[in-house]
Amino acid sequence: MGLGLAVGLLSGLFGVGGGFLMTPLLIMFGIPPMVAAATDSNQIVAASTSGTYAHWKIGNVDFKMGFLLLVGGFIGGLAGVRSITILKALGNADFTIKMTYVVMLGIVGTFMFLESLSSMRKKKVPAQPVAPEDSGFTRILKLLPLQTRFEKSGITHCALIPVVLGFLVGFLAAIMGVGGGFLVVPVMIYLLKMPMRVVVGTSLFQILFTCIEVTFLQAYTNHSVDFILAILLLLGSTVGAQIGAIWGRKMKADQLKILMATIVLAMTVKIILELTIAPSILLAQTGGH
Amino acid sequence: MSNFFYYKTSCCTIAKKTFLKYILFLFGLFPLVLYVDASAILTAKANHDHIKIDSFYAGSTVSVAGFSQQGVDLVIKIVSPETEQSFRKKGKIGNLLWMNTGEINFDNISSLYFLHSTKKVEDILTAEERDKHILGYDALQRHARISPAPVEGASNWFGELVKFKESSTLYSVDYGKIACNTKDGKQNYRIVFKWPYQASPGDYRVSVYAVKDGKVLETAESKVLVEQAGAVKTLAGLAKSNGALFGIISILVALSAGFGVGMIFSKGEGAH
Repeated sequence: MGLGLAVGLLSGLFGVGGGFLMTPLLIMFGIPPMVAAATDSNQIVAASTSGTYAHWKIGNVDFKMGFLLLVGGFIGGLAGVRSITILKALGNADFTIKMTYVVMLGIVGTFMFLESLSSMRKKKVPAQPVAPEDSGFTRILKLLPLQTRFEKSGITHCALIPVVLGFLVGFLAAIMGVGGGFLVVPVMIYLLKMPMRVVVGTSLFQILFTCIEVTFLQAYTNHSVDFILAILLLLGSTVGAQIGAIWGRKMKADQLKILMATIVLAMTVKIILELTIAPSILLAQTGGH
Repeated sequence: MSNFFYYKTSCCTIAKKTFLKYILFLFGLFPLVLYVDASAILTAKANHDHIKIDSFYAGSTVSVAGFSQQGVDLVIKIVSPETEQSFRKKGKIGNLLWMNTGEINFDNISSLYFLHSTKKVEDILTAEERDKHILGYDALQRHARISPAPVEGASNWFGELVKFKESSTLYSVDYGKIACNTKDGKQNYRIVFKWPYQASPGDYRVSVYAVKDGKVLETAESKVLVEQAGAVKTLAGLAKSNGALFGIISILVALSAGFGVGMIFSKGEGAH
């Protein structure tokens, strides 16, 4: 329950599922990898429902954007799973997965950290209000057809953009074996230019559906969901998600971003250490990827 | 005279020899008598031999107790049935990065192996006896089959298996923790094991060996049954027999919990 509370807190605060943290911890406590991953998905359903509900109550969920990201994520997930099957057949899946982790998390974490740090520094120096300048990427996006207004986020984009970005996130998430919350959040902030307050709720909304699908597939094909364990975890995580959402409202966007960047960078360092330091035991349980 | 004396002496010698033969024969029988005696005495009983895995199961304790002949050493072994187990093998790629480098299979091994003895098994049993009864990690290694045959040396990988199992508290070899005392010419023994929650449901065999002069004199057996009970059993049955329904129930419960807690918190906030 304590574990669930901690991961739920991250969920409500940053809009991530927390699978990257929970699954390894469960494995460390002796839960087989496949059961750990499946049960974690089930508890994320509860935590993200609780978090989405909390953010929806204060009007911080962009359902339209979430739905389009979800469509892309679903197709990307299928493509990613297919790629993993091919990579496994070629015999270099593990290398690709680990490298994707290091590169993706390293880039996302470093960029977020530096950007929010410079943003926080700028705010300390009182300056004349300047209208935010569109980047080259944003200008190109505005030239695309099917421009759609996303009221909750206060932005206008081609409707295909969230689908394509959702596809990329879903593809990478499937390769890395995670829900993809920490990938979709930077995509929403930096590429879709969504306000931070809406990002967390919308990300949780998307994660909710992804995890419903994963839970069902794991229960149906692998019979690997441990219901009792999931209940114990979700008792903590649902409460944690609510507390996280309350804390999130009290924090500034840059503070949230820098905290999330720190977590992402810590994960990157952990993976690099795992890759370079000799493990104490040279055997691991089979299952998962 | 001398012949008579020789005859008499010779008769005496024959009588003495026959007598000595009887004595030697009886002495020869003595260990056998002891052996029979030991077999009649050694008993083993596992207390709390039916462990039920329920909703809040976090492992248990099992004690093994019984009687043995005085002056024998004891070895107590608890094992699950032998199976084949597969693991991921980690290795260094490009002399730089540690990654999974394939699978390794161990056959003829138990998922749980507990061995406790009054003294170190290597000091009280010959290698042949240890191999015969699979007592100790060396004997277990000689009994196990590893595939594909490792190029780097089987003992290294068996050592890794032991490290992995010990870290999951499923393997343990120890000595000096069996409590023994003498009563009515018999030796009472007792040991308490911590039963790990990682041990899966099934039948576990408890074997007690009475040991003397490097050999096993007698064995006695008991068993421990671990099974799921109550809601855990029902849910495990449902998960296997109807995965789709189990998945839907799991999702609905998670959604309800999420909404339920969300509503409780939103009401709490409304009160302020």
